[in-house]
Amino acid sequence: MTKTATIMIDDQTYQVPDGINLVDAAKLHGITIPVFCYHPKMESVGMCRMCLVELGSISVNRDTGEPDLNDDGSPVVRWFPKLQTACTQTVRDGTVVRTSTAQVLEARDNILEFILTSHPLDCPICDKGGECPLQNLTMAYGPGRSNFIYDDKLHLDKHVPLGELIYLDRERCIQCARCTRFCDELVGDDVLAFHERGRSLQIVTISDPPFDTKFSGNTTDICPVGALTTADFRFGARPWELDEVPTICPHCPVGCNLSASTRIDRDFGGKKMIKRIMPRQNELVNEIWTCDKGRFGHHHSRAADRLQHPMMRQGGEWVKIDWATAYHQIASKLKKYADSAGFLAGPTLSNEDLWELRQLAELTGDTPRLGVWPAAMTGAGVVAQVGIGVNTRLQDVGPETAILVIASDLEEEAPIWWLQIKQAADRGAAVVVANARETKLDRVTHTVVHYDYGDAVAVLNSFAARARSRRKTSKALLDNRVDGYDDLAAGLKGTRVPFADAADVLLDAENVIVFAGAEGLTLDQHRELMQAAANLLIITGHVGRQNNGLVPVWPGANVQGALDIGFSPETTASLIDEPPAMWFIGGADPAADDSQAAHVLANAEFVVVGAQFMTATAAQADIILPRQSFAEREGTYTNGMRRVQRFYAAQGPVGDALPDWTIYAQIGARLKGPKPPVSAAAVMRAITQHVPRYAGMGYSSLAHVEAQFPDVGGDDLYYGGTAYANHGGLGVQWATDAEDDSARLVVRPAQIEKPEKSGDLCIVPVRLLYDRGPLFEPSDIMHQRVPEPYLELNSQDAAHLSIADGDRVMVTAGEIQIETAARVNGHAPEGVVLWPRRLAHGPAPALFSACSVQKIEE
Amino acid sequence: MIHILLRDLEIPDIWQFDTYTANGGYDGLKKAVHDLSPAETIQIVMDSNLRGRGGAGFSTGRKWSFIPKDAETTYVVVNADESEPGTFKDRQLLEKNPHQVIEGAMLAAYAIQAAAVYVYCRGEFWDLAHALEDRIEEARQANLVGDDILGTGWDCDVHVHLGAGAYICGEESALLNSLQGLLGQPRVRPPFPAQMGGGLYYQPTVVNNVETLANVPWIIVNGADAYKKIGTPESPGTKIFCVSGHVAKPGNYEIPLGLTFRELIYDHAGGILNGKRLKAILPSGASGPVLKATDEVLDAPLTYESVAALGSTLGSASFILMDEDTDMVWAAAKMIHFFKDESCGKCTPCREGTYWLDKIYARLLRGEGTAHDLEMLEKVPNQIAGVTLCALGDFAVNPVLATLEHFRDEYEQYIHQPEFGPEPAQAL
Amino acid sequence: MNLINGFATTIKHLLERPVTVQYPEQERAVRERFKGRHALKRYDNGLEKCIGCSLCAAACPADAIWVEAAENTDEERYSPGERYAKTYEINMLRCIFCGYCEDACPTEAIVLEHKYRLSFHDRRDAIYTKERLLDPPPAGAPDTPWVTEPGTFDRAIPIMQDPD
Repeated sequence: MTKTATIMIDDQTYQVPDGINLVDAAKLHGITIPVFCYHPKMESVGMCRMCLVELGSISVNRDTGEPDLNDDGSPVVRWFPKLQTACTQTVRDGTVVRTSTAQVLEARDNILEFILTSHPLDCPICDKGGECPLQNLTMAYGPGRSNFIYDDKLHLDKHVPLGELIYLDRERCIQCARCTRFCDELVGDDVLAFHERGRSLQIVTISDPPFDTKFSGNTTDICPVGALTTADFRFGARPWELDEVPTICPHCPVGCNLSASTRIDRDFGGKKMIKRIMPRQNELVNEIWTCDKGRFGHHHSRAADRLQHPMMRQGGEWVKIDWATAYHQIASKLKKYADSAGFLAGPTLSNEDLWELRQLAELTGDTPRLGVWPAAMTGAGVVAQVGIGVNTRLQDVGPETAILVIASDLEEEAPIWWLQIKQAADRGAAVVVANARETKLDRVTHTVVHYDYGDAVAVLNSFAARARSRRKTSKALLDNRVDGYDDLAAGLKGTRVPFADAADVLLDAENVIVFAGAEGLTLDQHRELMQAAANLLIITGHVGRQNNGLVPVWPGANVQGALDIGFSPETTASLIDEPPAMWFIGGADPAADDSQAAHVLANAEFVVVGAQFMTATAAQADIILPRQSFAEREGTYTNGMRRVQRFYAAQGPVGDALPDWTIYAQIGARLKGPKPPVSAAAVMRAITQHVPRYAGMGYSSLAHVEAQFPDVGGDDLYYGGTAYANHGGLGVQWATDAEDDSARLVVRPAQIEKPEKSGDLCIVPVRLLYDRGPLFEPSDIMHQRVPEPYLELNSQDAAHLSIADGDRVMVTAGEIQIETAARVNGHAPEGVVLWPRRLAHGPAPALFSACSVQKIEE
Repeated sequence: MIHILLRDLEIPDIWQFDTYTANGGYDGLKKAVHDLSPAETIQIVMDSNLRGRGGAGFSTGRKWSFIPKDAETTYVVVNADESEPGTFKDRQLLEKNPHQVIEGAMLAAYAIQAAAVYVYCRGEFWDLAHALEDRIEEARQANLVGDDILGTGWDCDVHVHLGAGAYICGEESALLNSLQGLLGQPRVRPPFPAQMGGGLYYQPTVVNNVETLANVPWIIVNGADAYKKIGTPESPGTKIFCVSGHVAKPGNYEIPLGLTFRELIYDHAGGILNGKRLKAILPSGASGPVLKATDEVLDAPLTYESVAALGSTLGSASFILMDEDTDMVWAAAKMIHFFKDESCGKCTPCREGTYWLDKIYARLLRGEGTAHDLEMLEKVPNQIAGVTLCALGDFAVNPVLATLEHFRDEYEQYIHQPEFGPEPAQAL
Repeated sequence: MNLINGFATTIKHLLERPVTVQYPEQERAVRERFKGRHALKRYDNGLEKCIGCSLCAAACPADAIWVEAAENTDEERYSPGERYAKTYEINMLRCIFCGYCEDACPTEAIVLEHKYRLSFHDRRDAIYTKERLLDPPPAGAPDTPWVTEPGTFDRAIPIMQDPD
């Protein structure tokens, strides 16, 4: 229970949490103190002076501690002689403010008159017009007319590109510094700054390439005027014409809550289309932020080259067929190959799709083979035991918590988690970054562990051993609820602890969160890594509580959902090793990721692929089923923290494409399955009845919204006039075993299996945020941010091969040969070639495959 | 006349280390480190009632005493960003009597047990800053600065930093930002520099003006009582008055506080140039309100309190004198243009208000002023004053309000007789 | 007697010129402030006045106006400033000719003029597109889009004079 303070606002007494900002405290009770520069997510700077109030404090007798009283019994208030900015005050007992006296109202009027002296009056064409704090506050508090001579107005550049994504209108800027502070304080990217001074003060980008941050779009949201606009939306529509549809980002495991601003457009055949993507407030997930991939990477939903009709291959040609034919054909093939069919689910399939796919698969046999793609990470059982505690808010994490990030380049794999961990570090959380190479997260901490590729599991084992040797184990838990500890203890005996400092940072913290990725790990190694992480968390007791537990950095938006519903990466591996005769693939593109998978598919007898685009996998299909994108349909995704979240239909349909669950249910109906459900909600109801963890997650529960603090996203446009308001639901997080006191937790020794390095130089594929994946490539606006294909070499290796940074090289790895650029920037460990996935079209070589790199002479 | 500060007037070579030490230099520092505790040092300065010479006139000893006793790292910052128009006293001190400033800074550092001393010089002082580094090196060679000072185990080095030429960096929190490599904009206070989180690198910091610190060695050597005998009880000591403008002998004059305006202007500075009549006095550069040169003003004593009673401030005591031919609207326009140029732009009223005022003055000087403009000259300053983040906003309105108060007729002339006023070439 | 009075009135009116006109062969002149079919106006130089701000659509009580905006470039410029109407449609069946759109327009781009021939054979013809609404360029002025020098037309709203 937080301490409360008693304060007086406009002669009324209120209880508010002690020490919060005065503006927020007033807002809690519905009292408006207008602001421009203050933002609850950032330190206050008191620049705009809009929040001036009369401030005082109740005079307290030093001896008695009692308030001094006037003759009439009212407390004596000591007032500041001048107006004070509310945003720079924190409340404590006895704070007294007046927000609506003549003096305050006049000051607001004056400040607005000043701000408007140089602000252009081009609201009619301004993208912020209609959701603009400056408009609103001017209407509420501003002068009816200005004393400023119109001809004295400054005229400045209205079209200043800050990079290719964000444009600055210098006239509209009111110098509140929200954008620079966001980049500086919250993100820590040195990209925006003020230049000049006085009335010439202006925002400039100081990075090369300009505005080089993955979070640039957020500055346009928090801009209280229309000074910053995105190239994506500029002049796309007026805010009041837009229909806000709650949705979930389909790109990464964070599951950012988004709002799709939609409108009918003649250029899209008079159908509803997504005009822009905005973050939607969910303080438990993405707060009010999203990365530029989520914001600008929505164009795939209406890309011109989307598959529009079911197609069948006949004599090497694609023939358009109708759905009934497709269903019939597939049903008959499934009957034929019932014993030898493999099902593969991609990372953007919704839970409803996955469930119906499983239902369909179960119609073909009792133990269907259900694989998930990408099959890079595993550990469903471990997550079910020790996944991060329910209702963890990364934004609350502070000095009492240590965060370990292992085997993941978090900024590339889950940018919002990166952002939140960076801010946690700023608040004093201890961050330990463990990877085989330097990543951007290294800069937020002093505790960086650089192990050799293959040693990730050993590092975690050594931390567990250190916990034992320092007696940092949780006796209560080990004695009562843990199985297999003796084996584990025996296995840890004699383990060397090469990174004792890092271990101690984790062991000395009250809370521990582990983010585990899979960089440089095979699937088998990753299973051991997840177990090793679980071992560490269980024996130290960091499970089953808020701000404790394991977060897998899954390679996709709904991998967690796929695992929950019964798909597994191990099955995928077995499907590739012992390929079925018939493949049924939904929303996955294994042929583009994995050369072995591509090979297997080419030799399959019958392949059905549900896809949005003619991917490498779809090209191998016998029947292609056009699936709807996340934008056209309803569904749910389960994010990396096991929060099940709803998304809604935002866009008009494209061609004949259907949601996957409909397709699967229709095929199932032709295999004597049940009648297809009528809605996604009905599918979810079935899931809640059959998947125990999803019980109680009906669509209405998932759509439940509670008041959030700070109240940034209200429809009152209080702190910023954007679409933060969450009307789509906060989602529901399922509880782990650790949170159930009666459940047993299992530990076992994690095996260390060093990979065979097959050559002097071997390849480690890594994930990049901006790649040429089918869901991102259609966003032309982002093309400048997607690097040309390259690979990273260690400087020693590069010197050995006489390769300099930027040289063109020919790389050969097994059957794969590709010409690309070389980067020599000190990130790659010796003997390793870092291969960014999906930059070039074509599969990446397998992990640790030997390669040769040759410089191409000009 | 005894000079405590401008000792170069008696001993021209006092800038040299040997001359300075031969004339009692660094005795104060030696006395403090050997015989006085830091707390006693603060107490002496507090007892002397030395008041800050940078402008605000706040008690130096009290400022030092605000440093939290449990602070691990503290700093002393010497404010040598002498940017106030008409102020040139710090320059003379740093040029001609630099060791006394260094000694004063070291005494402050000793009093608060600072980890380092930073001398923040305005950008135009580059030559002086390089010379100062040589002087510091001399002191370092003599073990008066640096590691293990005078064998006491106390380490404290002095660093010189050059600003980039911004008036606002004379404001202490903007100065600290600039010193840290940030944009030279004032910070929100509290926390004040002396508090945790408010100073240099967010550690408790004492920021003192050059002249203030130059007083300290004398006080330590001669004691607080001796110091209080000079000047008046509320404003003890001597003060350097920078006299410029239409004056016969412009320059720095170190005189005890408490003399009258008339004595300073006519006895010391030789009266007004060409025997003209004195019209107006700016007692603290551009930032203080202008005073009309009446007998009441000329006979008032030069103390912090009495100048305040006249409706102005003594500030840094940079006296700009204006004779009977001075066009006060033009003078105010110049000052507003200065403030518009030097406003950092951080807070709205100052950024937009100075721009607005500058536009109005430009119009007045072009002979295009209207009655509306005059109305605005009364309104806009009141919209700026009292609501800005730092004091610059309050300073910026002084030229307007004070000239309007004393010389309104000249404004009226600009509006009603557009042919009145300077030649276009003289206008802004 | 009354009868005679009555016939006299009738006969008097018989001799007057008839009030009716032979529409559609003949069109009657309308009053100066008559609000007829809309026109999208141009500046004298030929650029479109409409900046696609949608305020007319917002003001329209009958929801008859549909605007989609896009960004001008110097290579393809329709109107001054950054924004122009990519799509501009008025559904004349919905329009009640109240003139609110005209009032709302910040650039005086949409004007209800004197044309009132508004009959259609097909409901779809009642939707007037931008091509039908836009006035032709003034004599000698080039039609939009233009290729313009950078920085020449960077303001959407004509520079206003100070109201005082």
